[in-house]
Amino acid sequence: MSSLRPTHPKEVQEAVRSHPRLLPRGGGSKPALSTPRERQVALELIGLSGVLEYNPGEYVVVARAGTPLSELEALLKAHGQYLPFDPPFARQGATLGGTVAAGLSGPMRNRYGGVRDFILGVEFVDGLGNLVRGGGKVVKNAAGFDLPKLMVGSLGRLGVLTELAFKVFPYPKATATLEVAFPNLGEALEALYRLAASPIELYALDLVPPSRLVLRLGGLPEALSPRLERLERFLNQQGERLQGEAEEAYWEGVNDLGRLGEGYLVKVALTPRRIPTLEARLGAAPRRYMSAGHLLYLAWNEPLEALDEALRAEGLPGLVLRGVVANPRIGLNLEGPFGLKVTAALDPQGRFERYAAPN
Amino acid sequence: MTPALRELEALFPRGLLRQPGELVAYESDALTAFRARPLAVVLPESHEEVAAAVRWCQKHRIPYVARGSGTSLSGGSLPVEGGLVIGLNRMNKLLRLDPKERIAVVQPGFINLQVSLAAAPYSLYYAPDPSSQPVSTIGGNLAFNSGGAHCLKYGMTSNHVLGARVVLPDGETALLGSESLEGIGPDWLGLFVGSEGLLGIATEVTLRLLPRPEAYHTVLAAYDTLEKAGEAVAAVVASGLLPGAMEIMDSLAIEAAEAAVGAGYPREARALLIVELEGETPQVEAEARHLERVIRDSGAYEVRVAQSEAERMKIWKGRKAAFSAVGRLSPDYIVQDGVVPRSKLGQALAEIERLSERYGLRVANVFHAGDGNLHPLILYNGRVAGELERAEELAGEILKLCVALGGSITGEHGVGMEKRAYMPVMFTPADLEAMRRIRRAIDPLELANRGKMFPGSEAKPLSHGPHPLEKAGVIARE
Amino acid sequence: MQHRIDPEKIGPQGEVMAHAIEACVHCGFCLPACPTYQVLGEEMDSPRGRIFLMKEVLEGNLSLEEAQPYIDKCLGCLGCVTACPSGVPYGELITSFRAYSEPKRWRSPFQKVFRLGLQETLPYPARFRAAAVLGRLARPLKPLLPPALRAPLELLPEALPPTKPLPALTPAEGPRRSRVALLAGCAQQVLQPGFNWATLRVLARNGVEVVVPQNQVCCGALALHTGERARALHLARKNLEAFAGDYDTILTNAAGCGSGLKEYPLLFRGEPEQDQAQRLAEKVKDISVFLVELGLKEVPPLPHPLRVAYHDACHLAHAQGVRNEPRQLLRSIPGVELVEIPEGELCCGSAGTYNLEQPHIAAALGERKARNILATGAQAVVTGNIGCFAQIEAHLKKLGRPIPVLHTIELLDRAYTGQAPVPAAPADP
Ligand SMILES: Cc1cc2nc3c(=O)[nH]c(=O)nc-3n(C[C@H](O)[C@H](O)[C@H](O)COP(=O)(O)OP(=O)(O)OC[C@H]3O[C@@H](n4cnc5c(N)ncnc54)[C@H](O)[C@@H]3O)c2cc1C
Ligand code: SF4
Ligand code: SF4
Repeated sequence: MSSLRPTHPKEVQEAVRSHPRLLPRGGGSKPALSTPRERQVALELIGLSGVLEYNPGEYVVVARAGTPLSELEALLKAHGQYLPFDPPFARQGATLGGTVAAGLSGPMRNRYGGVRDFILGVEFVDGLGNLVRGGGKVVKNAAGFDLPKLMVGSLGRLGVLTELAFKVFPYPKATATLEVAFPNLGEALEALYRLAASPIELYALDLVPPSRLVLRLGGLPEALSPRLERLERFLNQQGERLQGEAEEAYWEGVNDLGRLGEGYLVKVALTPRRIPTLEARLGAAPRRYMSAGHLLYLAWNEPLEALDEALRAEGLPGLVLRGVVANPRIGLNLEGPFGLKVTAALDPQGRFERYAAPN
Repeated sequence: MTPALRELEALFPRGLLRQPGELVAYESDALTAFRARPLAVVLPESHEEVAAAVRWCQKHRIPYVARGSGTSLSGGSLPVEGGLVIGLNRMNKLLRLDPKERIAVVQPGFINLQVSLAAAPYSLYYAPDPSSQPVSTIGGNLAFNSGGAHCLKYGMTSNHVLGARVVLPDGETALLGSESLEGIGPDWLGLFVGSEGLLGIATEVTLRLLPRPEAYHTVLAAYDTLEKAGEAVAAVVASGLLPGAMEIMDSLAIEAAEAAVGAGYPREARALLIVELEGETPQVEAEARHLERVIRDSGAYEVRVAQSEAERMKIWKGRKAAFSAVGRLSPDYIVQDGVVPRSKLGQALAEIERLSERYGLRVANVFHAGDGNLHPLILYNGRVAGELERAEELAGEILKLCVALGGSITGEHGVGMEKRAYMPVMFTPADLEAMRRIRRAIDPLELANRGKMFPGSEAKPLSHGPHPLEKAGVIARE
Repeated sequence: MQHRIDPEKIGPQGEVMAHAIEACVHCGFCLPACPTYQVLGEEMDSPRGRIFLMKEVLEGNLSLEEAQPYIDKCLGCLGCVTACPSGVPYGELITSFRAYSEPKRWRSPFQKVFRLGLQETLPYPARFRAAAVLGRLARPLKPLLPPALRAPLELLPEALPPTKPLPALTPAEGPRRSRVALLAGCAQQVLQPGFNWATLRVLARNGVEVVVPQNQVCCGALALHTGERARALHLARKNLEAFAGDYDTILTNAAGCGSGLKEYPLLFRGEPEQDQAQRLAEKVKDISVFLVELGLKEVPPLPHPLRVAYHDACHLAHAQGVRNEPRQLLRSIPGVELVEIPEGELCCGSAGTYNLEQPHIAAALGERKARNILATGAQAVVTGNIGCFAQIEAHLKKLGRPIPVLHTIELLDRAYTGQAPVPAAPADP
């Protein structure tokens, strides 16, 4: 299988124009999405790398799509800032482009939002080989169609991302984590609902089955311990506190979703209401619900069909990130003619993988 | 009456407007520089009726525009001459409020502020707060991805819309998004929000509600120059604080707001900065101490902190009334909505002041400083020959300035009719072509809100004499 | 908004109208405040729409007939004036436009007789009383009547209270703190004469001497707001004379009459009495404002606690900006728990003769108001206007929940005189 390695958007354009079937690939941290299929040429974007614009006072960063997350995050950290959607696989080589195309956010999305909420601008090469820009490089912009958001989760199907602009925020000056165990799922969920509807501002609100909540607070150091105490009072119970380096290390571990377990690695989009019945179907699969029950990552060791079925039964869509699969999209099909028409408009010749939505 | 109209009448026995006295009222939105007479107005009351109206348009190839409260400042809800207006203000029901899942499902004509009022008993609220929130509809907000003073932290409408049921231009129904904050597959809803009514009409919208912050800390600081206020914003950002809102008003805007609502602002100030912290009480208290230091060092000559919710509301009331209040200072004005990188705010304001002098027109400034979103209000008197043209020219200069500084022609008011000629300043032909292809894929006949957002062959900057449509008698500027 | 209205062609009111239209920036902030827009959901029945229509008529782009139905539906409640950030003097615009258009419009013979009938009876207490008696007799015929005549019948009270002329002078009790003239109001004298007697008692108790000029007539607001400028001028001239005496304050206890007197300067614009009208208008005060400024003598507590909803009469709240004073008076009565009515700024639909001319909209608004009042769980409603009083009472009754309706001054009077404020009834759950 051949592969191309452009270092400039122009070369991406040429590659698109001269190959009937392509699959863009960043750091390869989500192999189910970036392993070329039959007759596809891999378009390696890791050569299209580097931060183009960053002025911390603007809360905006612009970078090439192949830029590794770790590189960008190091730069931001040096200025006390971060990507608030907390993209996973930073240390596994994930790139900005791959993160956007896969539409992935991490636990800290709970505080301010996911990747769709922080993308400001895109440049991409569409299926005709045209270089197209959408959005802008300022924190607010309403001109033209919102192509940046459209690209979130597009899996390379609408175009090859070459440049991205994000809104960034100041990183909390101090963080602390509280782990609280509950007697059963029902009580854990009840607490999750109460927390999510309360004015308590959590950077992460994770549910680790069967019945543990992991909560992350952030802010000014002087306010942190009173807030932790308030949090425990709110929950009517004490938890295990994590602070300092151990805490950072804990969340770094969570960031590498691969550590969840062996087998397929799957993302599911859901609402907390689905959790009780879904839990009954997932058996022993290692998993973690993030962002107050809106996002689930799980490792799956059974045949994928079984998970597909479980998700369908719950009316939920899923995406396989790791594992060899014909079609990474499983579970409920949320797509209709609207998406098909837009896809055809940007890639009329079908150069990009369409991942026929599950039927 | 033509057979087509008879058909329409059968579809809308009690929601069809056809008489001149009825149509006149629909000729403009909040940008009265443009007017166009529609063929008819229909006022559907259900999803099915919207679909029926759209199918009727499709069948007879009649262009149409959806209309909420008609508060667009860019001509977004300006009728297409001879087209149909689909007025959605009667579809104003709250369909479902689920405090546990923290969502509200509303019809498109539901008013923005009403969402927060309905959610208030559960200590929840709907975050996007355009100044027009007591009147603008969720449908209009969605079409324009409206923002407000509190967008820095939690984003614009797009960040708070979870799902929508829409009638596509072919009359079919599509469901976009879901109730989850996360999605799988391309973000079709993200594309739809902000598409200015070109990709379809939303008939049901699922909104995300946020818990109401436990505490607010609202500071009003007065400065003797606009620059100092701008520098204060930069200092707040540099301090690592992330306020919910940072707004600046200049002296003309202060004068107007005072006249309108008597907010008690220091009248003699050359610039006012409003900074609002929000969040958990201990955190806000700690942040307030940091903020106090930053503001003290910024050269403010007077600093007030709202001591009660009533005082806080008063500060905001003045700010939010500022646009229309400018109507007290001048018979006419144009509002612009450009964005510049925050670090270029000072430069942009100085340049605007120079332009204002050069054109001999007063410009009031009210803006979302935290976002770099300027709202220069260009005051003119339409009864004075040539002033409108000068005002439009000045407005065009400001837009170009914003793009040249690396910003955007619009932060939240949309392109609409008004700014479409400036799209090529911001986007390349290839960018626009890609957007057009998307539009045509969804609406091959280009019936939905025809003539908006995209520069047409007929489109020229307003400043270049009478608009060609005007010459042709299609639109009129009053 | 730009316009091409030529004041020369339109007469003295042209400049007033041109100014109002120019001040409108078409922002739509008035839409949620407009009762007709709320009920009908059509732009031409909104303040912004009406301004556009009037502009088009005045500029000659639209015929008066096309615009008239929507102008007619305006209640003149001025909710839009309160909501408008741009300061559009909508009240002056609509009043002037009605005066401008009335002579030019076509009306059916029935309408003409009906309107003439109203104009010839309502402002004259004796005639009104006679008509009301007739109306009560006509009740059994209601189903046979055209809708325009049904509505007024519903608003008539079961029995008309007896009338007794008000004394020309009521002395202050104890040391005299002030001396005022009272406008007695016309419809009110027939339908609720008790309001005036309560007013006299409360004022006297608070050391105020009250003169009721005997040659006063209807303030003319009714005629002015329906475009009958000549009739309004005729009445107003008589009042200029009647109230020419040496009073610092002219008191009104009916919101509509108060705002009517305050509109005299507009009415007399370009007339020789312009200055005199201005001076009179400056002395006019609502009873609630006057009492708050004077400072109430201590009010004894009510015999039992009472949850009271205060209804803002449009002509107090929107036209005169009087919102706090009545509430302040109510709060000063020990035992009163004051509650706010949802959508409180929305008109109840009474608005002068509106009830008679646009019965459907008036009924929709009346019902909405009654429901909003009941939602507060109040045991009584208090308001400062006879029109609102009648409308609210009728619609509460229609909903089968007739909680008592009182004038602000009545509740105050009952507290002072130690009467039960309302018949003891079980509190609303
Ligand atoms: C005084 C004033 C202050 C303002 N302040 C702000 C502000 O702070 N921030 C801001 O962002 N905007 C502001 N605006 C602009 C305006 O209020 C917003 O653009 C608002 O979202 C428009 O809502 P509307 O209901 O009036 O929509 P309309 O003006 O009726 O329509 C706007 C657009 O939406 C389309 N549309 C309407 N309903 C639907 C639907 N259901 N489906 C699809 N398309 C639809 C229309 O076709 C049109 O293109 C202000 C306007 C005024 C007059
Ligand atoms: S609120 Fe005032 S300025 Fe705005 S449309 Fe209404 S009348 Fe005109
Ligand atoms: S006076 Fe009342 S009814 Fe008339 S336009 Fe204003 S708000 Fe509407």
